[in-house]
Amino acid sequence: MSLSLDLARLLASRALSAEERERLKSLRFANAGHGYDAFGLHPDVVALGEVLLGPVYDRYFRVTSYGCADAVPATGPAVLAANHSGALPVDGAMIWLDVLRHTHPPRVARAVADHFVPMLPLIGTFFARGGMVGGSRGNARVLLEAGELLLIFPEGVPGIGKHFKDRYKLQDWRVGHVELAIRHRAPVVPIAVVGAEEQMPQLGRIPIAFAGAPFIPVTLTPLPMPVHYHLHYGAPIRTDLEYKPEHADDPAAVREAAARVKAAVQALVDKGLAERPGIFT
Amino acid sequence: MSAPRGVLVTGADAPLGERLVRRLLEDPGVAHVLAVGSRPMEEALPFEDERRLTYLAVNLTRERRVRDLLFGPARDLGVEVVVHTAMGHAASEEGKAVHAANVDATRDLLALCERHPTIHTFVLRSYAEVYQVQADLPVLIGEDHPLNLSPNAPQYVRDRVEADLHACVRMGLSPLRILVLRCAEVLAPGTGSQLFDYLASPICFRPMGYDPMLNLMSARDLVEALRLAVHAAEQGVFNLPGYDTLPLSMCIEKWGRAAVPVPGAWMTPLYRWRRQLRGHDFSYGMNRRRFHYSGVLDGRRARDVLAYTPAHPIDWPVPT
Repeated sequence: MSLSLDLARLLASRALSAEERERLKSLRFANAGHGYDAFGLHPDVVALGEVLLGPVYDRYFRVTSYGCADAVPATGPAVLAANHSGALPVDGAMIWLDVLRHTHPPRVARAVADHFVPMLPLIGTFFARGGMVGGSRGNARVLLEAGELLLIFPEGVPGIGKHFKDRYKLQDWRVGHVELAIRHRAPVVPIAVVGAEEQMPQLGRIPIAFAGAPFIPVTLTPLPMPVHYHLHYGAPIRTDLEYKPEHADDPAAVREAAARVKAAVQALVDKGLAERPGIFT
Repeated sequence: MSAPRGVLVTGADAPLGERLVRRLLEDPGVAHVLAVGSRPMEEALPFEDERRLTYLAVNLTRERRVRDLLFGPARDLGVEVVVHTAMGHAASEEGKAVHAANVDATRDLLALCERHPTIHTFVLRSYAEVYQVQADLPVLIGEDHPLNLSPNAPQYVRDRVEADLHACVRMGLSPLRILVLRCAEVLAPGTGSQLFDYLASPICFRPMGYDPMLNLMSARDLVEALRLAVHAAEQGVFNLPGYDTLPLSMCIEKWGRAAVPVPGAWMTPLYRWRRQLRGHDFSYGMNRRRFHYSGVLDGRRARDVLAYTPAHPIDWPVPT
């Protein structure tokens, strides 16, 4: 790995400004002793992630961010809950970089991925170095207890794999994210991603499991189109203050909290759709 | 610290057992060490202490011999704590005799300790290998993590799981205080470390595209953890992580070996040939999952209850 870490450092030193490199040095993570955290995150690969995703974020998708710095806490645990779409998880990557850039000191949104993602060669390892974790309750618990940010897409695979005609309609909204937030006293930050739904319009799906994914999407374009991304962050829902940890075992309380988060995300989506001038502009 | 006590150590003629005996003799809280191994004294321990150390060669698979040991010298020496570290080291060794040494001996020893007049604590050195490692399970392994109960697991793993579970089942039912210490892999010679054997080759193949996080322990930390368990006031299951948490590729690199990523499908035949042709013990089948997915022991319970915190990093590369 050291060769790839050396390469990561070299690329970061060439592509990132001295100011940004200095800022990334203040990235806090639980170093397990050899420069990695127990999940495999390495700050040099986080910097490489910024190098690689930066042009995609700035020039290809021209991401506009609304309210990130105010909504995402500077310290302590939080669950970032967003709508999911686009056939490929580009939305997760854009939120990851957006949070990294708009938090001071920089914070890594630990994306909670479906179980098949860590099984993917190269991708699973690279994502883990950037902070992704597999979607098990144990991983989420440890990270929240350590005061980290979790990025969760409560719609899961049905969200990213929905048909184009269902765009911007939130799918079945799972409740695990609020259960975790209540149990571990973390606020939930609702996030709406506007733009991703149109990047690779999905026309159908081939019901064959591939590389761990439950189906192969049939999309209008083979690669994402250069849509304009809008990331809207809502005011944190204070699940840490409004609920007690024991409410995490109360199905009614959990459902009610999840419904609040879903409504907040849907409201942000509606606002974003109303305000955007066009899909590509 | 409680009053000085007698401690019986099994597996005392293995490298880790020997280190444990040496460490216990330095401990003023230990009155006497009854070291038990399978080899004669002159071949077993390179040191002596006439006043505080007794060494006996005992075949632990013979229940009668164990009974004679416990109700003879152990009772006479006032042994209060048994630390059971004797377990077959080689993954390539299989069969009834190995099972008898790994599992039946543990069961018999525990049963005899339960009706012993002076023994009140039984410490089992267990292994991180008892845990299941897979993509959909947490990376950080707590004591409630699923165990590897697969009937297809090699005997090396099945025996360890069976011995571990037997001790766990007796917890609460037995008059003994039972501690099961699930230890991270000790990267040292003579410990049965699969990774140590894997790293013996100048070129180490690893599955392309995967670089899981491993947690490894130094012999010094393990010995210290076992010493702390001798004085523990509580029973239970405890994960004992090591100081070093690092990716497999870094582990290979720190050892001074060349890491060569190859397609995963090549790993099994490559290491089967290595095993057959060179007589190595490393079994890729046994390690396949942990060569793909991260698994790191969570040692918070051991820290809170036993006051164990890994403090001694591995001295890379480990001297052979």
